[in-house]
Amino acid sequence: MNSLLKLRIPAAARLPVTLPLSGSERWLLGALFAEIVFFSAAAREFFGWTNFFEVLRFSVELGLLSVALTPILITGGIDLSVGSTVGLTAVAMGAAWRDFHGSIAAAVALALLVGCACGAVNGLFIGGLRLPPLIVTLGTYTLYRGIAEGITHGAVSYTGFPARFLFLGQGYLWRAIPAQLPILVMFAIGYWVLLHRSVIGRGLYAIGLNEPGARYAGIPIRRHLVLLYLLSGFVSGLAGIILVAHLGLAKPDLGTGYELEAITAIVLGGTSVFGGRGTLFGSLLGLFFLTILQGGMHLLALPSELTGVLTGLLLLVIVSLDQIGAASRLRQFFGARPGRFAATRAATAAAFVLVLLTAAGYALMSHSRRSGGALASTGTISAGRRYVIAVMPKAKGDPYFKSAGAGAEEAARELGVDLIWDGPTNLDPSQQNEIVENWITMRVDAIVAAVANSGSMSTVLRKARQHGIPVLTWDSDATPDARDFFLNQATPEGIAATLTDEAERLMPRGGQFAIITGPLSAENQNEWIQCVRNELARRHSRLTLATVRPSDDDRDKAFLETQTILKMLPNVKLVMDLSAPAVPGSAEAVAQSGRTDVDVIGTSLPSICRPYIHAGTVPSIVLWNVHDLGYLTVYAGWLDAQHRIAPGSTSIEAGRLGRLEVRGTEVVLGKPMVIDKTNIDRLNF
Amino acid sequence: MRIFEETIRLARTWSREIGVAATIVLLYAVLFFGGRTYFSAENFGDLFLANLPVLIVSLGMLLIILTGQIDISVGSQFAVCSVIAGVAAKAGMPVALAGLAACAAGALFGAIGGGLVAFLRIPSIVVTLAMMIALRDGLRWSTQGAWIENLPPGFQWLSLTQSRFTTAMAVLAVALVAATAAGLRYLKAGRAVLATGSSEAAARITGIRTDRVVFSVFALTGALTGLAAALNAMRFHQIPSNAGLGLEMKVIAAVVVGGAAITGGSGTVIGAVLGVILLGSVGTALTFLGVSAYWEQAIQGAIILAAVAINLAGRRRE
Repeated sequence: MNSLLKLRIPAAARLPVTLPLSGSERWLLGALFAEIVFFSAAAREFFGWTNFFEVLRFSVELGLLSVALTPILITGGIDLSVGSTVGLTAVAMGAAWRDFHGSIAAAVALALLVGCACGAVNGLFIGGLRLPPLIVTLGTYTLYRGIAEGITHGAVSYTGFPARFLFLGQGYLWRAIPAQLPILVMFAIGYWVLLHRSVIGRGLYAIGLNEPGARYAGIPIRRHLVLLYLLSGFVSGLAGIILVAHLGLAKPDLGTGYELEAITAIVLGGTSVFGGRGTLFGSLLGLFFLTILQGGMHLLALPSELTGVLTGLLLLVIVSLDQIGAASRLRQFFGARPGRFAATRAATAAAFVLVLLTAAGYALMSHSRRSGGALASTGTISAGRRYVIAVMPKAKGDPYFKSAGAGAEEAARELGVDLIWDGPTNLDPSQQNEIVENWITMRVDAIVAAVANSGSMSTVLRKARQHGIPVLTWDSDATPDARDFFLNQATPEGIAATLTDEAERLMPRGGQFAIITGPLSAENQNEWIQCVRNELARRHSRLTLATVRPSDDDRDKAFLETQTILKMLPNVKLVMDLSAPAVPGSAEAVAQSGRTDVDVIGTSLPSICRPYIHAGTVPSIVLWNVHDLGYLTVYAGWLDAQHRIAPGSTSIEAGRLGRLEVRGTEVVLGKPMVIDKTNIDRLNF
Repeated sequence: MRIFEETIRLARTWSREIGVAATIVLLYAVLFFGGRTYFSAENFGDLFLANLPVLIVSLGMLLIILTGQIDISVGSQFAVCSVIAGVAAKAGMPVALAGLAACAAGALFGAIGGGLVAFLRIPSIVVTLAMMIALRDGLRWSTQGAWIENLPPGFQWLSLTQSRFTTAMAVLAVALVAATAAGLRYLKAGRAVLATGSSEAAARITGIRTDRVVFSVFALTGALTGLAAALNAMRFHQIPSNAGLGLEMKVIAAVVVGGAAITGGSGTVIGAVLGVILLGSVGTALTFLGVSAYWEQAIQGAIILAAVAINLAGRRRE
């Protein structure tokens, strides 16, 4: 028995040589391959160098973060602050470039320095003071994003970077390779050497496996940890710079949620969050798997939220498959049949995988049924004469854009066009760009986009026009040279004027009022706030704006903020909400406080404000007909796809909306409506 | 002298909780000089109701963290459970029963997650990450962002008055906190949770079915999340479909700021409650102090770090 063991163990030790990939990596590689085959078969634009490199371009920032986070997870640590560091370095760079008139090289150097400083703080707390990484980086996650918001007041977004800098994020080397790709490759190799081919790397695994053991073995734990977190800050800073070059703008909310996406990629790649297990190659595989999934789903015109559902299910599938593999590895290792327990577990895992795959399949099937076979019709994009109009809301899962979507569907049915209605599911400003890139690859007949960040979207919309795709904007505009027409439902000045009118009507003798906005860095709302301020100054109004508070588009947060305003600023007699979910939140807070002397107005949807308007808490809301606006997006997109809006024309015929005025390159939908008790029940959105 | 030594001993045992409490006292002292209107019964009542969901979920999260696991899907579960409560109430179910339906749904989600963690041995962060994404996007997909409106008239405040509801919630919160604290200390199941987190192998050898322990704490947390979602929904007339965004971060931050070790086995209910109080007070406190909204987040981050540092100072003296 003894000799048998002696024989067995060296055989097991040789295992990594004969099988260069770990269990989860093999499963992942298989899944990646299956994914590529599936998407190549389903969407013919998918398989090609152009799309391949486009996918890689979108992987660079997240790839850098994943590469930097992998060794941290291997030591059993975590760094949640990487996404916030991206935002902070971006802002630092923008400020250095524009406000302090530094050269672009100096700005880049400063940004890298800021990244290092962010990493150094983490390193000091975690490596130096030996505090738990999760809580330290949870603190710095809030801190760094907060500093970025503080120095810009949420509102500033830096644009106008020189072309040679933007080349880093948008240009091509040898006309094919994205300019930022070599940086990722360089860092991946560097980190690979560090992690898999150096003494330090072995030390990192030892720390993750058994920290006291590592200390007894003489590994300088503190020094290693400080180094890792410092490097992670530096690499996040670099990712921030590349993201700025990629999008052409620097904003405090850049990189929101990147930490979670990077961690998803890493755990998918088989790295254990408890430390001691994982490879850099696995993390990169995980990242490519996720990016290809996202891109492929867009090319198939499947909605972004379905990608999320599938990501979740596939994550579980791949990790469970690894469990099945674990049983057989156990057998190889001990040269015996796996125990009853391991066998049962493998069987359960297999059954579970089947359930998950069925669920994923069901989700896809029910979607294609629901959307009338959009899945099947994508193959006929340029073959048939059915036009494909791609319309992008600013965010999915927002009641405002849901109403617009209903209008868009109505027009699509009427005109017999295929409508692709998709947009970001989170606050990440780069997600809109990614979807448009995929639409360019798909060669849709027209793109109609509600622009969240004009600085970054204009770049990609211009690219779409260069590819001959008619581009329109709606809800909020890009720069005029990036689109043919803007479907203007109401100018910021118009909205601000109407809101100020209402405020003055409700408070004829003047007084204080408060504004509750969406997220502090929402570009649109910040413009509206500025316009309200201008309007007040222009009219020498007796109204004074007492405070501006964020609601993050969350009803419950708006509720709490309003409660606080009511208590702290008792002289505020009016709350003006610039975010649709905030109006019901504020109204409920006012109603519950019993203050009848405070009114709530704002821009919101009739459907969610109806009870408060009838109760009188909300005297009025200001909005345009969202349903009609949605209708117009598809109608105008369809006209423009056939080049039926001649440049210089002064009006267009838009189906049931009748004749609409065209001013320059803006199609005017009409004036904002004041919605109150008298007309709300006539509106159906 | 005996009393002195006894005090020192107590201070050492509770050093982490004392650290958080000290931060809270410091914050309130600043408020006392800078924004005295903060101290009103109305304000504390409002803050209590606003933070009740965080408190309820953090009790479950504490148990999960004590077993050495983590659950980052609670925010998404919260959103789905709110919607389920609303749909059930609209379908004509009595409101209390609709609340129970939300609890049951939460328990089911928790059980799925816990089952995968406990029986299939998939790391909890992977399982709950997957559930977090899938549940949130699944909800977004099925509602497309629509809110649940026209709830039956008895839905808000459970047909009670607003102040009676607040009192009932206070009683419930105290009962839940006391039950969790007592359960952890005196019940066999509670000791099993601590034992599992301290050393799973040792716990298993002493005859504790650690997989069942892990499974149960996840299911329990799911049920608590459902409860929190239903109670939160009952403060309003409508239910948005994006509730609970970032709830997981708030809850985990509260528990770890309250001194629980993320590696499991160590942490107290009192600490978690103090953590909820600190983080729940900070946001509005800064508003009362007149801090600009733009700098609020940065200061919140600094306060988390300060609480950790104070905690560390307490430990170093040991």
